[in-house]
Amino acid sequence: MENPNRARIEDDMLLTMFDPFDASKDATQDTIDERLAFLDAVHASSIGLECGKPPSSKILGAVFHMLRTEKSLQLIVASYKLLVDLEKHFPRAYLSGKDDSLSSSNSPPKLVVAEEAWSPLIIGLDNAAGVGGASDKQSGGPLDPSSFHLLIEELAKTLADSNIKATSMKYLQSLLLFQYLVIVLEGDFLPRNATMNWSLQRESLLNMLLGSRKMNYKSLMKYCMEVICLLCQLLENDLSKNVEVEKSSESDTGDIALSLALLEVLKNTRASIEKLLVMIMALDNSKKKADIEGNTSRSDGPRTPLVDIILDELAYCKDNIPLFLKAFSEPKWKLEIVVQYLWKYITKPSARTRRSNGVNEDTTFDGALKCFSNNTGTKSIIKKIGADVVQLLLAHGFQELNNCGFQAQLSILSERNTNDNIGGDRNEGASALVDLCEAFISAFDSLISTDGDLEILSIGKEALFTAATVISIKS
Amino acid sequence: MDDPLDFELQDDLLVPLPINKKRKKVIGLDDLLNEHYKEQEKLAEKQKKQAKKKAKANEKKKYDDEDRKEAHLNRLVEKCHNQLKAFGEENEIPVWGVEVFGEQKPFPRLDFPDLGSCNFIQSFLNNRLNSVVELAADKGDSFLEGLLVNGWLSKLAFLSGHVEKPVALWAFNSMLYSSKEELQNSSSDFWCEILSSGNEADQFSVKVDWFPEYKDLRSALDTYGFLFKFSSSAAHESSDSNNGGPPQNIRAWIRFVTYCCRIKSKKAILSTIEAEEIVEIIICMFLDRRFQGLLVLLYDCLQAVVDYFTDQEWCSSCENVAKFIACRVSEDLNCIRTVECVSEDSSRCRQLRSAIAYQTMLFCFDGANNGEEILKSLDAINLKHKSCDFFKLYIHLVLAKNWILSNNSVEDNEVIHEMFCSFLRNCSTFISPTDLRSYASEVRHKASYLLNFSV
Repeated sequence: MENPNRARIEDDMLLTMFDPFDASKDATQDTIDERLAFLDAVHASSIGLECGKPPSSKILGAVFHMLRTEKSLQLIVASYKLLVDLEKHFPRAYLSGKDDSLSSSNSPPKLVVAEEAWSPLIIGLDNAAGVGGASDKQSGGPLDPSSFHLLIEELAKTLADSNIKATSMKYLQSLLLFQYLVIVLEGDFLPRNATMNWSLQRESLLNMLLGSRKMNYKSLMKYCMEVICLLCQLLENDLSKNVEVEKSSESDTGDIALSLALLEVLKNTRASIEKLLVMIMALDNSKKKADIEGNTSRSDGPRTPLVDIILDELAYCKDNIPLFLKAFSEPKWKLEIVVQYLWKYITKPSARTRRSNGVNEDTTFDGALKCFSNNTGTKSIIKKIGADVVQLLLAHGFQELNNCGFQAQLSILSERNTNDNIGGDRNEGASALVDLCEAFISAFDSLISTDGDLEILSIGKEALFTAATVISIKS
Repeated sequence: MDDPLDFELQDDLLVPLPINKKRKKVIGLDDLLNEHYKEQEKLAEKQKKQAKKKAKANEKKKYDDEDRKEAHLNRLVEKCHNQLKAFGEENEIPVWGVEVFGEQKPFPRLDFPDLGSCNFIQSFLNNRLNSVVELAADKGDSFLEGLLVNGWLSKLAFLSGHVEKPVALWAFNSMLYSSKEELQNSSSDFWCEILSSGNEADQFSVKVDWFPEYKDLRSALDTYGFLFKFSSSAAHESSDSNNGGPPQNIRAWIRFVTYCCRIKSKKAILSTIEAEEIVEIIICMFLDRRFQGLLVLLYDCLQAVVDYFTDQEWCSSCENVAKFIACRVSEDLNCIRTVECVSEDSSRCRQLRSAIAYQTMLFCFDGANNGEEILKSLDAINLKHKSCDFFKLYIHLVLAKNWILSNNSVEDNEVIHEMFCSFLRNCSTFISPTDLRSYASEVRHKASYLLNFSV
């Protein structure tokens, strides 16, 4: 039954349903209806069928074009949703044999990559001339690294101007585009990273994007941090008033729809940026590991690890520290950032061992807390970092360590189901937790006694409250 | 009496002026000749003028003729234009959209929990650290907000394994009624984190002293202005009413309901009837154009609620929901929207989609008792007839397509399938491509597309 001819005919038929590339056409209700029907048909002919195939590149290109150029909210959201659904339904890469059977669990899972899959990012054509960033943006086609950079730069600039009102529909579009691209990068990267095989990891879209010479990696990361901090700041200042879409007389309904959508999308954008940053840090880790094992080659090129960039950026612009720590919520990497920041300014021999044994944050945060045990140590840290920043770092570190500790505790509980074991483990976990809380409180005590005028930040108070409460519960 | 008065006689001014002076001049032959020439000239000129006038008149006549023709043309064009316009007006079918949210009611006051009744706060008051933290029982509200926004509250909940009632209630209320975006987000995250905690099986990892009930969720919707008794036929007129629409909190509401439905094995917050009502509410929200941007949230929620039912419940619940929707939505683009808003990604959703389409058709074809009768009356429509309402036909075609093709058990019914195919063939062959009536081409295209690719 299935033959390629039929598929091609279907493609052509779908594409004749409307002219997706005719942007000059005014968005009358008729054209909107046509395009929605097109999206429906694409959905029905791919996801809708039981053993459907992903749509052709031509079709995907048309849908992507709609996401980038349409002016109707309904179409923008519908094309975004279709693209995301397709991405989930037809993954770019996945590990085979993962849920097949238990017997094959001995052999490592194999990576299956949809080689010919259409991609919204054009990477690896560094030498190809022509595709200019700006002109490409208008055309609504796939993005090259420089237009990816431009996209994030614009996200940051619009947020900084708090100019969202004027360009809200366009802005919504850029935010959704960004979220979709992160989903694509993630779908390609996570299974590749899980293989622990650098030759597969290095071929990930993410690695190629970051390594592209068409884009400045460091400035891209700075813009990402700016976006996440600005989002957090806007939220603190009650975003809804900032984003309140200007009332245009023509359609009240549209304004309300837009402002509901915009706030929802902004909320999700924070998570998308975080996802992107976490992926990059995981990639850095994999690369470091491959480096140690001697699996990297010269063509991999050097790249500053993202954690270092973040630390530099935070040290350079201290105002961003509270915002960034609040906005960035992934526990493992946040703890890593806090711990590295602290250790940058603590001169202790134990700092040397940190790099060699990799992920041993637990002791290092504890170690940092111990540096506050005497007045001279505390004084030197306050002098170097500043009292407010120390409080922030300690509080956030404490919070994330709590989180990690809690998760470890849970996994112990769920792994060992026999009753008699639970009691012992819980006590063990609880006493470690109490120790941590006590160390945290004494570090704060030492801060207070060292600096008499110290004003405790509200997050410091909240952390102290938590520590005291945990102690009273667990002991 | 006519004689001048005596004093007038002396008045020199009144003496008539010597007007006759010229006349005194002797008229010579030359003068006469000159006069004659003048006369002649005048005459000639007069004739010239007359000729000109005549010519002008002729021309005017010509122009008049042209004007008349032009006017005629104009009239023709205007007539055509008007006809087209009438056509257009006929064409102007309102877009889908029903305002299911009316005026907001005043929000309840956000009461901070009585901190005295919170054990974990109470026990801290005597702690030595309180000299630093400076927590007082009477001004603990902003402190609690800080705990929530900065993520401590959920950490405390997981560490202590316990959420006390005042805290749960307060977080729930600030999620639904706070106007601060940050507080809405944090409290909704807090609740969702707690609801999705624990392993899949049957337990939360946290003991929660208070769970909201359906009536709490429903009264929040009521406060937002949700019109539980809307009717879509009356809605078009009210579309320019200027109510502010639902508050931003509606997003947290939808997300919360989604999470509630996903944890049925741990805590069944909704009864079957309540879950049915939620399905209906979500479909109604799809109908409101102000929710266009929240498509993803709504899809997720609908999927979660639909999965909430047990298999036995679902059969009847699906039909109940379909009937509820069918009798409330008018027979225009709205009823297509209610069908197409249900995704086709899961078998239950497909079933619901099919059921809504079927019930709506039963409602449209008053008197039809079953699917075959509906298809018979569809088949009986004379597509060539002038009065054929293609817009209605289009709606029926879309409904029939969703009813039959979304549900395998219907699709496998050979009689129905055959009848549907013949209806599609009729539409694609008997409607002329040059038929310019509104929706004629839509019906034709849709039918031939379905014939080629779907049936």
